[in-house]
Amino acid sequence: MTSPDVAVSLRGISRRFGWHWALRDVDLEVASGASLLLAGPNGAGKTTLLRVLAGVLSPTRGEGTLAGIGLEDNDGIRRRSALLTIGGYLYDELTALENLRFVSLMCGSGSDPAAYGAILERVGLAGVADRRVGAFSSGMRKRLALGQLLLRPVRVVLMDEPFASLDDEGRALVDELVEEMKAAGQTVFLASHQIGESLRLIDRVAFIDRGRLAFTCSADELPERRHAYFGGHG
Amino acid sequence: MSAGAPRLPAATTVESGGWREFVRRTQAIVWKDLLIEVRTKQSFTAMAFFAALVLFIFSFAMGADVRLLQATGGGLVWIGIAFTGILSLSRTYQSEELAGGLEGLRILPGEQRAIYIGKLLGNLTLLLTLELFLFPIAGILFQLELWRVAAPLAGVALLGTLGFSIIGTFYAALAVHVRARELMLPLLLFPALVPVLLGAVNATTLILTGDLDGALSSWLRLLVAFDVIFFVVCTWIFPLVLEE
Repeated sequence: MTSPDVAVSLRGISRRFGWHWALRDVDLEVASGASLLLAGPNGAGKTTLLRVLAGVLSPTRGEGTLAGIGLEDNDGIRRRSALLTIGGYLYDELTALENLRFVSLMCGSGSDPAAYGAILERVGLAGVADRRVGAFSSGMRKRLALGQLLLRPVRVVLMDEPFASLDDEGRALVDELVEEMKAAGQTVFLASHQIGESLRLIDRVAFIDRGRLAFTCSADELPERRHAYFGGHG
Repeated sequence: MSAGAPRLPAATTVESGGWREFVRRTQAIVWKDLLIEVRTKQSFTAMAFFAALVLFIFSFAMGADVRLLQATGGGLVWIGIAFTGILSLSRTYQSEELAGGLEGLRILPGEQRAIYIGKLLGNLTLLLTLELFLFPIAGILFQLELWRVAAPLAGVALLGTLGFSIIGTFYAALAVHVRARELMLPLLLFPALVPVLLGAVNATTLILTGDLDGALSSWLRLLVAFDVIFFVVCTWIFPLVLEE
C-alpha cells in the first residue's frame, strides 16, 4: 500500500523497444506536491519514463504506482496524470478553441466555452481563439498545448521540454504555471535540457543516463553531483 | 501575476463518467472528424470523382443493353462503393497522424472503444453521403428505376455500408503503423469483406430485378448477422489494437 503522501513510486521499472532497453531498473519515489526535474543526455530515457508515467507505455518489467494507482491500470493512470509532449497533439484544421473543446469532450467533460476562453487568455492566445492552429507558430502551438494541461486538475503533471519553442514571455508563463500547479497540490515532472531554467522551479533532480537512474539530488547539489558522476568531465 | 498564487483548482481525480462520458467521447470524435472533412474536403472530393469515374467507365463498357445493365447494375454500384470506400478508410486516422500520432488520443482518459465507434460513425456518414449521389448517378447511367425500390434499396445500402465501415474502420487502425498502408489495407480488408459484399450485391440485384425465388431475406439476414457479429468483435478488441 502506497502512502497518500507519495505521488509516484517506481520499483525496478524497465522498458524495452525491440532489443533496446530504454529504461533499466528505475527506482524512484516522489512526494505529492513536489516537483522533479528529469535531467540527462539525449536518448537517456527521460521521455520514455514520462510516457510510462502517463499510462501510454506499459513497463516491460517492474512495478509502480501513480497517485496510489498501479501502473498496469492505464486508464486509472491517465485520469490522474496529464502529459505535455514536445510537439503537442494539435489538429491543424481546428481552431485553438476547438482543440481545447475536443480534448475536454474526450476527457468526458461537458463543453464550456467560457472556461476555454479563460484558458486561452491565461496562455496568451485569447486574440487568436478562432484562428486555425495550422497557422500558428511553434511557440503558439506550445502555448496551446500548455493550455490543454489546464483543462483537468490532475494529480501529476508531466512536461517534456516545456521551454522548447517559447520566447521569454512564454518561458515566464511556464514558470508561473508550474508554481501554480505546485500551489494547487499537483506533482510536477519536468524533462528538459534547459537545466538552468528548470532548476529554479523544482525541488529535486533525477539524473538519467542510458536508461538508468544515475542519482537524485537537490537542485543545489546538481553541479557537484553531475561533475562527480562524469568523473570530472561533466 | 505573483508566483505561487493559487489560480488553478486543487489537484483531484475525475473518475469515469460511465455511459455519459462514453457518449461524449464518441460525439467528440465524430464532430472533430466531420468538421475537418468539411473544411478540407479531402476524402469526399477524391471519393466522389473516383466513384463517378468508375461508374462512367462501366457504363461505357457495358453498352446500351438494358437487361444486362439492370442485371449487373447492383454489382457495379457496389464495386464503386468498395473502391471509393477504401480511399475513405485509409484516411480514417490521418488527422491523428498529422496531429502527432494515435498517442494523442491514447493519453486522454476514458473508454477506448468510444474512439472506434466515433471513427466508425464518421466513416459511415461519409460513405452514406457519397451513396446519396452515387445511386442516382448509377440509376441514370444504367437505366435503373431506383425510385420504385428506394426504401428497400436504402435498407440494403445502410446494412452493406455499415458492415463495410465496421470492418474497414477496424482494419484501418491495424494498418496505421504499416509502411505501405495504401497497399496493405485493401489486401487485408477485401478478404474480410467477402460476406458483406456478397450479401449487398445479391440483395441489391434482387431488389432491382425482382425477387422471384424469395431469396432476398436470406441475403438480408446474412448482412444483419455480419454487422452484429463483427460490430461486437471489433468493438471488443479495438483497445488491444490501439494500445502500443
